[in-house]
Amino acid sequence: MSRIDVNHVWKIYPRGNVVAVQDLTFTCNDKEFLAILGPSGGGKSSTLRMLAGLEEITKGEILFDGKVVNHLGPAERNVALAFESYALYYRLNVYENIAFPLRARGMKGPEVDKRVKFIAELLELTPFLKKYPGSLAGGIQQRVSLARALVRKPNVTLLDEPLSHMDQRVRHEIRARIRHLHDELGLTTIYVTHDQAEAIALCDRLLIINEGKLQQIGTVEEVWNRPANKFVAYFIGEPTMNFIPAIVENESSVAIPTEEGKRVFTLEGRLGERHVGMEVTLGVRPQHIEVKRERQDTNAIAGVVKVVEFQGDKTVLTVRLEDEMQTDAKAVVPAQERFAEGDVVWFFFAPSVIRVFEGDTLVL
Amino acid sequence: MKILFWLVTALVLFVIVAPLAWIYLTAFKSPNDIFTTEARKLIFFKPTMENFNRLFREFPFWDNFVNTAIISVSSTVVVMVIASFAAYSFARWNTGKGHLLFTTISTRMFPGVVAAIPFFVMYRNLGLLDTRFGLALLHIYFNVSFATFLLYGFFKEIPVELEQAAMVDGYSRVDIFRKIVLPLVRPGLAVTAVFCLVWSWNEFLFSFLFTRVAARPVTVLISSFWGSIEVQYGPMAAGAAIVILPTLVAAWFMQRYIIRGLTFGAVKG
Repeated sequence: MSRIDVNHVWKIYPRGNVVAVQDLTFTCNDKEFLAILGPSGGGKSSTLRMLAGLEEITKGEILFDGKVVNHLGPAERNVALAFESYALYYRLNVYENIAFPLRARGMKGPEVDKRVKFIAELLELTPFLKKYPGSLAGGIQQRVSLARALVRKPNVTLLDEPLSHMDQRVRHEIRARIRHLHDELGLTTIYVTHDQAEAIALCDRLLIINEGKLQQIGTVEEVWNRPANKFVAYFIGEPTMNFIPAIVENESSVAIPTEEGKRVFTLEGRLGERHVGMEVTLGVRPQHIEVKRERQDTNAIAGVVKVVEFQGDKTVLTVRLEDEMQTDAKAVVPAQERFAEGDVVWFFFAPSVIRVFEGDTLVL
Repeated sequence: MKILFWLVTALVLFVIVAPLAWIYLTAFKSPNDIFTTEARKLIFFKPTMENFNRLFREFPFWDNFVNTAIISVSSTVVVMVIASFAAYSFARWNTGKGHLLFTTISTRMFPGVVAAIPFFVMYRNLGLLDTRFGLALLHIYFNVSFATFLLYGFFKEIPVELEQAAMVDGYSRVDIFRKIVLPLVRPGLAVTAVFCLVWSWNEFLFSFLFTRVAARPVTVLISSFWGSIEVQYGPMAAGAAIVILPTLVAAWFMQRYIIRGLTFGAVKG
């Protein structure tokens, strides 16, 4: 319901001088679903808590619809927050827990009832309304916590790992409903998770954060196809992106040194003149590799199959490449293609799927 | 094993019950029955209300009893108000970074009598000797530290997220304290209040030193039956029999809450 701007925000915890968030700047548009993704301890929750007003901002500004909210408390910011630890009111039953934020803001009887029942139905909580949270399983408690956050129409809905304690089946179900509710009610949602599948399934845009620093923000396609740096490339995608050391031949090709010489790969775009002769890292997603049995002369490198993982709908091959570093690379092939350990295969990289990193940073 | 269990239980019960039984039996005995050496008379005697009549007629028992009640109740109320705010502040914001909490508790770490002389001089100059207000103030001083320490633990058990959730849901600080925190620590408050009340009710040393007539609590009166010439067992037992009744009730009331209070942390929050 609001546009959120985060401008050069820092969070430094005085105890131990821990820098949790460093110079973070991003925008979450009105009605956008933004997922904040990153490893544990990366600053995701600190960011969310600063947005909620539960944590003081050390430096920088947070704006809701263009107005600075730094000095406002959580109640005045009108945010909804689902805690990872549920934080339910154990003396109230499920119904009253969900109704709590409505009543706290002065809403009365029938309207409260309507909203609570609607959200309870949606999150499959109707049978539990009369129960007390203490008697419910973790996953159900988490749904109650989620219901309490979603029952309102706040400026922004903040969800901190709201599905982490649910069963796999329920998780998928609820995930879809969160997105549905977001669209239906026109919410602005910021969703913190360390599960990339969840983030990719839900969000309009992804924000990747590591060690308190923004790594990249963009749509799933952008982040997937053009990861800003090695961390993002490694963090997004399963199996993770392959990294192979190489040397720049000229502005449009690179070479991977091998025992018996080198393998040359042509690239889609052009590198800068200064890159020629430089050591770089090639990044190729396992899903983008074409695995051939016959020798390939261009844009290919040979290797020996080490591990074959059959995963039902696909097979993941781990191959020791013939490059000087003997890199282990993974490739995803259709399940019907049979490979065995010890097979010699050729990995073909189409020019369009090769990413080039200089140090940690993407250059092509 | 079973026998040993019952043996120990019986022993403990005897140690606890015997003095109580002696007090209540003696309270209803005539002087002759109290001092007789006949073993049978220990339990079988002709009950009399004589001791109670003497106590009420010849001594200001009810005046002193009222003093005790006023001092202990009023001091406990004040202690609970101060200590609950203080403990919440220590538990939630680590006020004073632990030093203030330690200072508060440290007032309990020396024998009370050490503080008696400076307090006495101060009280004499302020005209607080032999006043209920003065004695209540002393009880507040000693109980606040204890109550703060006890409540600190209870407040510490409440997850911060719960308060933050309420904050996000639109409650003010005051609302949160009143409607979220206080109901959750109710068992803790009950236990603490009863402890303070019982301590203040039973307190003897300061009552003995700081009061004479007007503000004298009943504990001091009872001790005065133990004179240098004779011990008046009859009125003493009768007085004790009445005075310990409220503490017995408190103990009975407390046992439910103490168990709940001690298992408080078991509730996942």
